[in-house]
Amino acid sequence: MSGAVRLQVADLGKRFGGVVAVKNMSFDLKAGEIVGLIGPNGSGKSTVMSLIMGIARANSGTIKLDGVDISGWPSHRIARLGVSIVFQHSRPLQRQTVLENVKLALLPDSLLRLATAASVGERAREIAERVGLGGVLHRHPWTLPFADLRRMELAKAVARDPKVVLIDEPFAGLTPTEIKVFSDLIRTLRDEDRAVLLVDHSVKSVAALADRVIAMYLGERIAEGSAEEVMQNETVRRVYIGGKIEAVERKGAGAGQAATLLQLDAVEVFYGKAKALDRVELRVQQDEFVSIVGLNGAGKTTLFNAISGLVPYRGAIRFGERDLRSRTAASIARSGVVHCPETRELFVHMSVRENLDLGGGHLSKSERERQLAWVFDLFPILEQRQAQAARTLSGGEQQMLTLGRALMMQPKLLILDEPTLGLAPVILGQLSNAIERLRRERSLTLLLAEQNVTFALPHSDRVYVLDHGRITWQGDPVRFAEEMSTGYL
Amino acid sequence: MAFLRSRLFWIAAAVVLVAALLPLWVSIYLLSVLTAAYYFGVFAMSWDLLFGFAGEVNFGPTFLIGLGAYTAAILNSTAGLPIPVCVIAAAFAAVAGGILLAVPALRLRGPYFGLVTLVAVLLLQNFVVIFAGVTGGEIGMTVPDVLSIDASINYWYALAFLVVCAALLFGLSRSAVGLILQASGQDAVEAAALGFNVTKHKVAAFCVSALFSGTAGAMLIFYMGTASVDTVVDIAIGVQIIIAAVLGGRRTILGAALGAVFLIVANEFLRPLGQLNTFVVAAIALAVILFFPEGLLGYALHRGERE
Amino acid sequence: MRAIQILVDGFAISSLYSLAAVGFTLIFGVSGVLNLAHGGIMVVAALVGWLSAGELGLGTYAGSLIGVLAGLATAYATYLVVVRPIQRSRAIRPEETEIFVLTGTLLWGIMIQGGMAYLFTDNPVTIRPLISGVVSIFGVRTPTNEILIAVLAWAVIGLLWLLVNRTRTGKALLGASMNPRGVTLLGYELTQLYLVAWSIYGVLAGIAGVLLASFLGVSTTNAGQLTASAFSIVVLGGLGSVSGSLIAAYVVGYLETATAYLIAPTLRPIPSLILLVLVVYLRPQGLLGRR
Repeated sequence: MSGAVRLQVADLGKRFGGVVAVKNMSFDLKAGEIVGLIGPNGSGKSTVMSLIMGIARANSGTIKLDGVDISGWPSHRIARLGVSIVFQHSRPLQRQTVLENVKLALLPDSLLRLATAASVGERAREIAERVGLGGVLHRHPWTLPFADLRRMELAKAVARDPKVVLIDEPFAGLTPTEIKVFSDLIRTLRDEDRAVLLVDHSVKSVAALADRVIAMYLGERIAEGSAEEVMQNETVRRVYIGGKIEAVERKGAGAGQAATLLQLDAVEVFYGKAKALDRVELRVQQDEFVSIVGLNGAGKTTLFNAISGLVPYRGAIRFGERDLRSRTAASIARSGVVHCPETRELFVHMSVRENLDLGGGHLSKSERERQLAWVFDLFPILEQRQAQAARTLSGGEQQMLTLGRALMMQPKLLILDEPTLGLAPVILGQLSNAIERLRRERSLTLLLAEQNVTFALPHSDRVYVLDHGRITWQGDPVRFAEEMSTGYL
Repeated sequence: MAFLRSRLFWIAAAVVLVAALLPLWVSIYLLSVLTAAYYFGVFAMSWDLLFGFAGEVNFGPTFLIGLGAYTAAILNSTAGLPIPVCVIAAAFAAVAGGILLAVPALRLRGPYFGLVTLVAVLLLQNFVVIFAGVTGGEIGMTVPDVLSIDASINYWYALAFLVVCAALLFGLSRSAVGLILQASGQDAVEAAALGFNVTKHKVAAFCVSALFSGTAGAMLIFYMGTASVDTVVDIAIGVQIIIAAVLGGRRTILGAALGAVFLIVANEFLRPLGQLNTFVVAAIALAVILFFPEGLLGYALHRGERE
Repeated sequence: MRAIQILVDGFAISSLYSLAAVGFTLIFGVSGVLNLAHGGIMVVAALVGWLSAGELGLGTYAGSLIGVLAGLATAYATYLVVVRPIQRSRAIRPEETEIFVLTGTLLWGIMIQGGMAYLFTDNPVTIRPLISGVVSIFGVRTPTNEILIAVLAWAVIGLLWLLVNRTRTGKALLGASMNPRGVTLLGYELTQLYLVAWSIYGVLAGIAGVLLASFLGVSTTNAGQLTASAFSIVVLGGLGSVSGSLIAAYVVGYLETATAYLIAPTLRPIPSLILLVLVVYLRPQGLLGRR
C-alpha cells in the first residue's frame, strides 16, 4: 500500500448539448486503493469514467496521471500510459478464441510487427489462467457463460500491467457466488498496488469492496467517505430514496376483492447470457396502485418491457383473461396496457399538440377532443405550450407530456417507469398531485416503478422490491416503512 | 508454423497445382476467362481486407484500381517506360490515392463514408472522359507493351500474381497486425481502450488495399493491352467486386478470390443467355446473401465451428 | 431567350427529380433503407407503361396508370423479398444489416435491369405525351406536356404533404421516422406503417418513371444513373429531410440544365458532382438533414 497519488481529477466538467453531465468533479485516486463511484442514473458517474479514459473529451478541468496531464488525449495514448477500463458490456472479438482475445491486449501498437513473439502467447496464457479462464483458452466467446466473458474483460484490462483500472458496473448480471469471486479478483488488483475505480449504482455491492466511496448526483459530488458514512449521509439518502420513508395509510384499499388485472408468473428475461429477471411473480388488481421500488439496474425497465411485449421472456403474463405472449407490442398497447417508458420516447420534432393527437389516434374525433380537454385540465402548461416542439420543453414538461400522451390512449393499466428521473423537486410535487387526481377522477390501475421511494409510497396500495432481477420483498406501504428504512440502500 | 501443416494449406496447395497444370488440357478461351478472373480475385481480396477486417465499406474499389491502371497505361504509352516501372508507378499512384481517400473519409460515419468512395469513382470516371486526349476517353486507350502474346504464359503470370497476393494478404490477415485490424473494424472504442491507434491502422489498411488493387489493375492492363472506363473504372465493376467478396465469404480473404473466380466463370457460361445472364448472376448472389450471409466459404468453414 | 429556356426546362426536370428524390428520402426516413433498386423501380414503371400504352394498345392514360401500378408492385416486391427478410434474418449481425440491405437492393436493382432488358428491350422507350401541343412562354416554345409534368409533380407532392400532415396514418409515419418505439407504444403496428411507406414510395417512383418516359424517354441502362441522381440529391438535401430533397432537386436540376445549355450537354452531371463532394466534406448532413 504505497498510497502514492496515481490519478488526479480536478474541476472536471462536461456538457452534452444543453445537458450538464459532470460539474466541478474533483477527486484523487491512490495506488493500492479501491474507490467506489456511486450515483443514480444520470448522475454522471459513467461519464466521469469516459472522460478519464479519453472516450469523451471534457469541457473543463484536468486529469493527471502520475503528474502527466492527460486531458484531451486520445484513448489509445491514455491506455499506453497505464490506464485500462472494463466496460459495462463485454466487448469480445467474436471470431477469435479467448487466448487470442487476451493476446490482442498484449500487442504493441505497431504497423510492422507481423509475427507475435512467443513470450506474448505465454504471458496471455498466464493472465487468462489467473482470472480463471485456464480451461476455456481455445473456445470462442459465444460459447462462454456470462461470467467468463466478464473475466475475459478483466484479463484484457490487466494484461499490460496498468497503474489505474476503471471498472464500470462490475457486478451487473452476476450471481451472488460470482460476485464474490469477482470481488476477490478485484481485491488482488489492489494488493498489486494498482489504483482501482469502480462505478456502480448500488452502494451495497460496492460497500464490501471499496476503501472509499464517492457519491454523485446530477453531475456533482455530494458525499465522500467510507461506505457506511456515505450510506448514512442525509443528502445521499434523500437523493436515492427521496427523503424519509413515511407511509400513509391508503384509504379504501380493498385488497383481495377486486379482480386481478395483471398477473406475472415465473417471468424470466435474458439479455444474451445475462439474466435480467429471475422468476418474477406479480399481481395487480383492478383500481390498485402498485409500486415497484429498486435501484437502477434492478430490472424494473426490463420488467415493464416484458409486459409491453418489447422483449422476449419466459413465463406467463396475463392481462385480464388474455395471455399477452402472442400479441404484438402495438396491440398490447391498444388493449389498454399503456407504457410510459423511462426514456419517454416523445416525438421531439413534433409539437405538443401533435404528440397528444397521435396518442389519441385510435379514438373518434369527438372522444379525442374530450380526452384532450381533460389532459389539458390536468396539465395546464401543456395547453399553453401546445404549439411548441416537444424538444423545447423542460424536463418536467416533457414528463407531463409523456403522461398526457399516454392518458390520451384511455389506458386501463398505466405503467409508469421512473417518472421522477432527473426532475427538480418542485416538479415532483406537481406530478404527485396529478397522479392523485388520476386516482380520484378515473378508474385507472397504476403500476409504478421508482427509485425515489418517498415519491412512490404515498400513491401505493402495495409495494414490491426488485433487486438484481428478483422480487425480494412485497407488502403494504406501512410495513415497508417499518422494515426497509434502514436496510434499503 | 502450424499453418504449413494445416488442412487449409494442403487444400490450397493442391488447388494451385491443379490450376497451374490447366493450360495443358484446357482451351485458350477458358484460359483467358480464368486469367481475367484471377486478376479479379486480387481485386476482391483487397476489398475484403478493407471491409472484412477494417470494417470499412468501400463502394468504389475501382477508384484505386482505375488509378493504378491508367497510371500504368499512360506512362507506358506516352513515356514508353517498361512494364515493371509502370506497374511500380501504378502501385505508388494507387497508394497515394488511397491515402487521399482515406484520411478525410474516415472521419465520416455510416452511409456518408460509402458515399465518398462512390463519388471518388464518379470523379475519376469524368476525369478520364474529360482528358480524353491522354486517356482515350470513353473509347479507351491501347498500350504498346503487353506481358505476353501467349495465352498460357499470360495465364501463369496471372496465377502466380494471384497466389503471391493471396499469400501476402492471407498472411497479413492472420498476423498480429491483422488481429489489430479486426479489432479496429469490429469495435473501435474497445480497440482504442486497449491502446491501438485505430485511425492509423485503418489508413494503413486502405494503403494495403490500394497497393494490391492498383498493382492488379496495372497488371490487368498489360494483359489485355487496353485500358478503358468500362473495364477498370465503371461502378458496375466495383459492384461485381463487392458481390464476389460477399459471395465468397467476408473476412476469409481466400473466399473473396473464390467468389471472384466463380462470378467471372458464371458470367461467361451464362453469356449465351444474353441479357438474362446478369439477371441470373445477380439472382444467385442475392440468394446467397439471403440464405448464406456468411458466404460460400464462410459457411463451409463455420459449419464445423457451430455447435 | 436562353435564360427563359433554361428556366423552363430546368423547372420541368427539377420537378421530376424532386418526385423521385422525395420517395427515396421518405423510405430512408421511415424505413432506414437506402434503396439502391430505386432506378429499377422507375424503369419498370416506364417500361410497363410503354408496353400497355403502345404495344397492348390500351392508350396513354390507361397505360400510364398500369405503369404506376407496376411501380407499386415492384416496390412491394423490393420490401417483401429483399429488405424485410434481410432485416429479420437472425444470421446477420445487427451492425451489418445496413450493408446487407444495401448490397441486396443493389443486386435486386441489377436483376430488375437485366430482367426487363431481357423481357422487353434495352432501347429507350417513350410514352406518348398525355397532352400534345406547344405553348409559348415568354417567347419560348415549350411542349405542353412539359408544363403538365411539372404541374403533376407538384400536385403529387402536395397530396403527399396533405397525407403526412393531415391524416392520422401520415402523422404516424412521421412519428415512425422520428421514433419507431414511440409509435409502437402508442399502439400503431410498425409492420403496417412500413407497408404504407413502401406503398407511397412505390406510387411516387412509379409516377416519376412514367412521367420521365413521356418527357425524355427511359431505357433499362438508365436504372443506375437514376438511382445515383436520386441518391446525390437526397444527400445534398439531407438524408431523411423531405423539404431538403425538394430544394436540392431544384438546385441539381437547374445546375444540370444550365450546364447542358451554357457549357456542353456531355458535362451535364459534373457541377452537381462537385457540389456533392463539397457537401460531403463540409457539411455531411446535407442542407437540412437531421440524422
